[in-house]
Amino acid sequence: MQTILELNNIHKAFGEKRIHQGINFSLHKGESLGLLGGSGTGKSVLLRTIIGLERADSGEVLYHNKPITRIKNEVELAKIRTQISYSFQSGALFDSLNVFDNIAYPLLEHSKLSFKEVQAKVADVLKLIDLEGIESLMPSDLSGGMQKRVGMARAMVLDPEIILYDEPTAGLDPANIENVIDLMLKLKDMGQSSILVTHDIPSAIRFCDRILILKDGKIYFNGTVNEFTESTDPNILKFSLPQGKEATHAS
Amino acid sequence: MKEITKSIDGPETRAIVDRLYEVGRLVFFFATILKCTFSRPFYFMRLVDQIRALGLGSLSITVVIGLTMGLVMTLNFGYGLVKFGGVLYVPAVVSLSLAREMAPIFTSLLVAGRIGSGMAAEIGSMNVTQQVDAIRALGTNPIRILVVPRFWSAVISLPLLTSLSCFLGILGGMVVCQNEFGMPAGFYINKVLDTVKIHDFLSGLVKSGIFGAIIAIVGCWRGLSTIGGTRGVGESTTWVVVTSSIAILITDFFISKIFLLIWGH
Repeated sequence: MQTILELNNIHKAFGEKRIHQGINFSLHKGESLGLLGGSGTGKSVLLRTIIGLERADSGEVLYHNKPITRIKNEVELAKIRTQISYSFQSGALFDSLNVFDNIAYPLLEHSKLSFKEVQAKVADVLKLIDLEGIESLMPSDLSGGMQKRVGMARAMVLDPEIILYDEPTAGLDPANIENVIDLMLKLKDMGQSSILVTHDIPSAIRFCDRILILKDGKIYFNGTVNEFTESTDPNILKFSLPQGKEATHAS
Repeated sequence: MKEITKSIDGPETRAIVDRLYEVGRLVFFFATILKCTFSRPFYFMRLVDQIRALGLGSLSITVVIGLTMGLVMTLNFGYGLVKFGGVLYVPAVVSLSLAREMAPIFTSLLVAGRIGSGMAAEIGSMNVTQQVDAIRALGTNPIRILVVPRFWSAVISLPLLTSLSCFLGILGGMVVCQNEFGMPAGFYINKVLDTVKIHDFLSGLVKSGIFGAIIAIVGCWRGLSTIGGTRGVGESTTWVVVTSSIAILITDFFISKIFLLIWGH
């Protein structure tokens, strides 16, 4: 399998607090990777480090074997960010722009499509996320679940090679979780690679090929979904067992 | 020696170093704005939108401040000078002080309250809701998208607003002179045109352009460094109004001094 993204010995601290203490893993083409861990273990920071919103104190992020951690050139950075896109936990839609302008934003910035082509592309993407006809609505008119899906639409509209999902199902009702995961699976079937940060274990099991667990600033577990669900390690059982069954399992 | 080291490491020194560091960051921020202004991509329509929002949006307060400045100053100068038989000097005093100082300062201070706080609040809330991160993550530069249009709209709009405020102030002065002191409008206008030279007017315009730059730099910089949710946004807006007002007043002294050196008294 071709490795498209590689993290080598990433260290990151905020003041005295050491978040990452040597993170190493790689992502292969077409693979979906689930990044689990307790709150405050630095999962989202790791996604932000990959895309350059945070700068690692040391270590290297390699994209197609090319180091991207310390790129300062605006054009090069923009090119990377059209290939690796980030779907924010809150959606992070621009609240002064309507849905169409939000989704069209990356197309207008980075592609040479005509306005008609942009319109068509936005309509296609909205169809894919089952939210046709909402182009003229403002983000404040949308529910939380719809905002997340529009945020995901904006992240995927340029057909990036990798999508980083930051807790896409957090705060959603079961029906909306289903919608979001279905959408992510559609993209996966289309060959998209992704890293999913989540606390929603059933969704991670359904969506991911491989699971990583972040603990004490390091990757504690790196294995397939089967290895994850069958593990008897108490630190992994905390994540892999449905709530309430952990105690039974331990006894 | 220990005492000296202790005093160097003390909280006062650290506070000074922190302030200097902040000033350094502001200078660097200004340099980045200039760099982004003169390199692609350009966002001309965003500049037009900002001029509409900041410039046209500030018209009403400019009209009020311009007129009231002229009315109040003329009343006070008029009744003060009439005791010494100097009422004929009122048009000169009012127009000169309006063109050189009062119009740029008061318009800028009011606009600082309106647009400076607006910039900090808007960009600050974008920052705390990750919209600024989204701009970066989508391969674009928030300085180009958010800051450069606001900076130039302030630099362009403020001199225009100051001109309007100065004109309305002089007009207000004419109304008071005519009604309170029986001065003919023609005499008033002649006196104003005799007194206010083009460089007096230009110095006011240049000043207000610089004040516009100060308001935008302080407002946008603070907006982009806002943290701490809605409370942080509130703190940022207050900080911007206070800081930009102080910066405008201090800068005014130095610019006035420079203009007096260039053009004389």
